[in-house]
Amino acid sequence: MSVQAAPTPALSPPRPGGRAIPWRGPAGIVIALAFVWGTYAVATGSLYTQGLVLTAAVFAILALSLDLVAGTLGLYSLGHAGLFALGAYTTTLLNINHGWNVFVLLPVCILGVGAVGLGLGALSLRVSGLYFAITTFVFTLVLTVVASDFSFTGGDQGLLGPLFPAFGSALSGLGKSVAWAIGAALAATILLVISIRRSPLYSVLLAIRDAEPMAAAAGVRTSLVKIGMFGLSAALAGMAGWCFAFLGVVSPGQFNWPVSVDILVMVILGGINTTIGPIIGAAFISMFPSWVNINPLWQEVLFGSLFVATIILAPEGVAGLGRRAIARFAPSLLARPDTADALPIPARAAAPALSSDGDAVRCRGVSFSYGEGLTVVDDVDFTVRRGTIHGLIGPNGSGKSTLVNLIAGRLRPTSGTIEIDGVRVDGESAPSRARRGFTRTFQDATLVRELSARDNVAVGLYSQVPAIPVRGPVWPALPRSRATARMIRGRSRGALDYVGASDWRSARIADVPHGVEQLTQLAAAVVTGPRTLILDEPLAGLAPSEVEHVAQLLGQLRESGVSVVLIEHQPRFVFDVCDEVTVLNAGQVVATGPAAEVRANDDVRRVYLGQ
Amino acid sequence: MQVILSGLAIGAVYGLIGMGFSIAFYVTRVINFAQGQLLMVAIMLTAALARGGVPALPAALIGIAGSAVTGVLVYLIAVRPVLAFNRFSFAWLVSTLGVAVVLENLAAIIWGPTSRAFPALLKNSSIHIGSAHITVQEFVGFFIAVALAAVFELTRRRTSFGRLGVAIAEDPEMASAIGANTTAFAVAAFAIAGVFAGVAGILIGPLTFANPYLGDTYGISGFVALMIGGTRRPLSAMGGGLLLGLLTQLATSAINPQAADWLPFVVVVLVLLITPEGLFSLRLHRPAALRRTQAAGVAAP
Repeated sequence: MSVQAAPTPALSPPRPGGRAIPWRGPAGIVIALAFVWGTYAVATGSLYTQGLVLTAAVFAILALSLDLVAGTLGLYSLGHAGLFALGAYTTTLLNINHGWNVFVLLPVCILGVGAVGLGLGALSLRVSGLYFAITTFVFTLVLTVVASDFSFTGGDQGLLGPLFPAFGSALSGLGKSVAWAIGAALAATILLVISIRRSPLYSVLLAIRDAEPMAAAAGVRTSLVKIGMFGLSAALAGMAGWCFAFLGVVSPGQFNWPVSVDILVMVILGGINTTIGPIIGAAFISMFPSWVNINPLWQEVLFGSLFVATIILAPEGVAGLGRRAIARFAPSLLARPDTADALPIPARAAAPALSSDGDAVRCRGVSFSYGEGLTVVDDVDFTVRRGTIHGLIGPNGSGKSTLVNLIAGRLRPTSGTIEIDGVRVDGESAPSRARRGFTRTFQDATLVRELSARDNVAVGLYSQVPAIPVRGPVWPALPRSRATARMIRGRSRGALDYVGASDWRSARIADVPHGVEQLTQLAAAVVTGPRTLILDEPLAGLAPSEVEHVAQLLGQLRESGVSVVLIEHQPRFVFDVCDEVTVLNAGQVVATGPAAEVRANDDVRRVYLGQ
Repeated sequence: MQVILSGLAIGAVYGLIGMGFSIAFYVTRVINFAQGQLLMVAIMLTAALARGGVPALPAALIGIAGSAVTGVLVYLIAVRPVLAFNRFSFAWLVSTLGVAVVLENLAAIIWGPTSRAFPALLKNSSIHIGSAHITVQEFVGFFIAVALAAVFELTRRRTSFGRLGVAIAEDPEMASAIGANTTAFAVAAFAIAGVFAGVAGILIGPLTFANPYLGDTYGISGFVALMIGGTRRPLSAMGGGLLLGLLTQLATSAINPQAADWLPFVVVVLVLLITPEGLFSLRLHRPAALRRTQAAGVAAP
């Protein structure tokens, strides 16, 4: 299944240095040793240093946890101060009043606050990103008010936190035990973040952020993943609260809503959606008062101005600027080796259909209307026979895209039934339908611009790799992850080979020409080896030579047994390529049947040539 | 009765602040976290001018104008550049809060961090209704607030200026395609938001005295009013404010003074859970398409 790559030489991508980087492993060990040494230095250092660095470390955990949802999913939580407070107060109250062991309290905080996060996420993610920000904001407000108004929390004065048990005499040379505890918590958070960023989950998260329909079509239950990630983020914030309780007084003023914004500023200032950025930001912001030693009011003015200046002048943050500088002056440092061998697309299409008489798609009496008024699709019967290319054409606004969205599960029909491979699916969500060997592309190319073509295609494999969201946070620790990662890379490359875009596999989508973007979408759709494939205007914006190339691809897909539904505006292309054609007008089927017959149909002529 | 009178009086102020939030949000989809500080600017400016010998009324007017100007500055410095970068990012959240921090502390530097006297605008007499009483200041304040809200709503609905604003709120791309100057409307929205905050400030100034940290408290109250009322229409926030005022007074008299702190939040949480778009956003069923044609009434009269 290989094909001549179509891109003209003029469009060939710049070749990045694709060699393996020999120092990556040793560098990791050096950094880990430095981290341990740093923790030791703090643990044995002065009280002043300890207070400063340990607070910064706690905020680094918070900033990393916030970046986990803000950077990768675009969910700007203002609830992190509240979640943080929950961890700190839980630890303090249960230890002081009920004598709970601090080591028991750690899992209690992580799981408890994590569960609160799941609840908060489930309640607030049903509407929109703004609603999420507002709900989490109100959550923090409520917690602060409760903490300052009720006596069991010590009111505005707060409570003195518990002491972290000191090392026994054998280990006393290690200094303050709490420094080691916080160091370990920070290390665990960093490892978790790195795991996610290195795992296939990362591309999936960015796809949910930037191209949610594409992710859903690939089988990702996007709401569940969002809620789960927010729960994980909340659990980390709870752990940060646990750490913070040992650093002295726990009082409402330390967790009020501007702290939520401070954490967000740490993330943005340091560099959103980076590993190191939130740590830099947390260190800078939390140590700001001791660095800039001036009149506290002027200090605040400077602090506020810093917020504004960061947002406006350096929205990518320190780490973003750094990465850009490296990309400019030493690009080889950033290049990821791409040594995976291309793996072929599995021939699932050739496997017997689930039901013997199953047409690929069968719609019976399907209608859809918005609210009470407009009926967009009106009692449509639409059948795609297995192994054919079926064209769906019609003027603008005739209901083509709506019909496709109904078949793919983005919309639910008002009435009528939809079967895929002989199985009724009209009650199922888009991700479930994706698991039935059914994929689609979108009219306006929806891809993640900052990921490479290969990583975008990898999102398409979501439904074929078990438990990506669960494995992501602990990815490198799992035994089969290397093999899985190689498989994903290989299959993605194979799919890009198949559509003839493999020269561009390492290029970011933001840097590729439009035609390659369309081909990448196609690759993401075929990478699973679908039985049925819907292409929504795959030719939009393509040059004539590229159109020819896509026509060839469609032919190949049909030969390998894939049923294709093709929505297109160019009638000539449709009649040339398709076996059967359905014409829609004003939400109704005007004609359907073999391409030649439909082409000769008077009604169709009327629709296209005017009354 | 007393609860209702005092509740409506303070509620109208919350409503004004909430409407300020809402008007800016309506046009730009930005929640201006410096809204409370706009109120503070009017109070501090008025108090400072009055101390300098300016009569109370002109001082108040200058104070309100100061709020409006500050509102526009917030837009130009903290909102416009951010929206130019990415219309759907939430970066404004950070930048407007940054401005709030700057304004608050600048005010503390200029006028000192402690409370100062605020000039009396009206004689300190009371009106008695049955057993309840309300000061003339509160009484007049309530009507000013409601009148301002009404004028705004009429302008929004009846004038072409207002309808164009509606069109921008519904679909900025379309509105600018038909020739609306979205920037001018955004500036106007922030200026009007400033005026609302300023008026609210003048109305509560006599109760709170002039303090640079007022913005926080009243900003939150206004935000709560907005959340209770909903963001769909600016007028909803006034409804939310009046409700909030009644609730806080009721909580104070029926439970305890602290209840006034937490009860509003309980209500907000309930509102968010039950009807995420706010209490006054519940509307009769109108198909989206119809609403859109109405919104674009300017384009197709």
